Amino acid sequence: MPEEIEVEVREAFKRALKPALPIIAGYIVLGLPCGILSATAGMSWWMVAILSIVFYSGAGQYMIPNMWLAANPITAIIASVGLVNTRQMLYGTSLSQFCGNVGKGLATFFGATVTDESFGVNYAKFLEGDWSVKDALAVNLYSQTTWMLSCTVGCILGSAVAVPSALASFAMTSLFLCLLCMQPTTAENGVVVAAAVLGVVVCKLVGLSGAAIFLGAVIGIVCGMLFGSRVSRAVKQASCEKGGDR
Amino acid sequence: MPIKDFLIILVGVSVLMFVCRVAPVVLLKGRDLPDGVKRALGYIPAAAFAALVANDLFDPADFAAGVDPMTWAGPLIAAVVVAVVGFKTKSMAWCIVSGVVSLAIVMYVPDLIM
Repeated sequence: MPEEIEVEVREAFKRALKPALPIIAGYIVLGLPCGILSATAGMSWWMVAILSIVFYSGAGQYMIPNMWLAANPITAIIASVGLVNTRQMLYGTSLSQFCGNVGKGLATFFGATVTDESFGVNYAKFLEGDWSVKDALAVNLYSQTTWMLSCTVGCILGSAVAVPSALASFAMTSLFLCLLCMQPTTAENGVVVAAAVLGVVVCKLVGLSGAAIFLGAVIGIVCGMLFGSRVSRAVKQASCEKGGDR
Repeated sequence: MPIKDFLIILVGVSVLMFVCRVAPVVLLKGRDLPDGVKRALGYIPAAAFAALVANDLFDPADFAAGVDPMTWAGPLIAAVVVAVVGFKTKSMAWCIVSGVVSLAIVMYVPDLIM
């Protein structure tokens, strides 16, 4: 590796460590029980390690052993997990606006390592400014390495350690809540949040649990658009009327 | 889990995941999107995190007859604590600590007292 690139990479990992720390802490807490669950479903440590590297999904890696233990057919497992992960398309769509001047290879590597948590952290840093795709990728890689190690250790330890799963998963709920609190408090975002929450509740009530997150988020975005265009039309109309008075 | 079944699951979920993650980034990067689409992009974080939180906190099964109301009320109380901490501090570390601690308190302390 040429020295210049090596320095750049080292610099990115240095800058990314602090923003990545909350994710690292969360993934340690969440990865151990995920590995334990995987061991219960009869998965070997190397299966867990490969799955964490190639697939890399918190929700997905909880679903696979759970559905396997419940004796679901493989096709049902793949379809359900795929459905839950459709929300990743939203993150890619959102992050694409910051990848304009990077190559296809880097954009692919970056996109392939995005999770709910690292999306939130990197999105905030991108908006702050002075944040490159390389820095963001470094956050992703810290997160992924932690996740892989934590899951694998959990699987090896098996049932020797007991982390109450309700508490472990609430660590991530808390992180999502914090990322939500960091969004700008505008009337439009208020509509988006209310519609998304309502959308998820309705989806789960009618039995669409698998797609609830994706559908709920899309409903939120659509309602935000409708509300936003009504507001801008009202503003335009008000200014026209003012013009008419004169 | 037999190795053959593992490999089928691994390939199936990983290919789907890779497409969902990478396709939008590679296809949309560097394009000048219409203003309406740009506005919609700005709503994605709020919508996604609200949906994730709602999905974690709401489970229809918690409302079935005979289920302890604390099953859903406990996390809801803890979530309110986190929301207050989140708005005040904007700190992820404090949110995680306050969330897990307050959920542990509402889940375990009533049993200790009674």
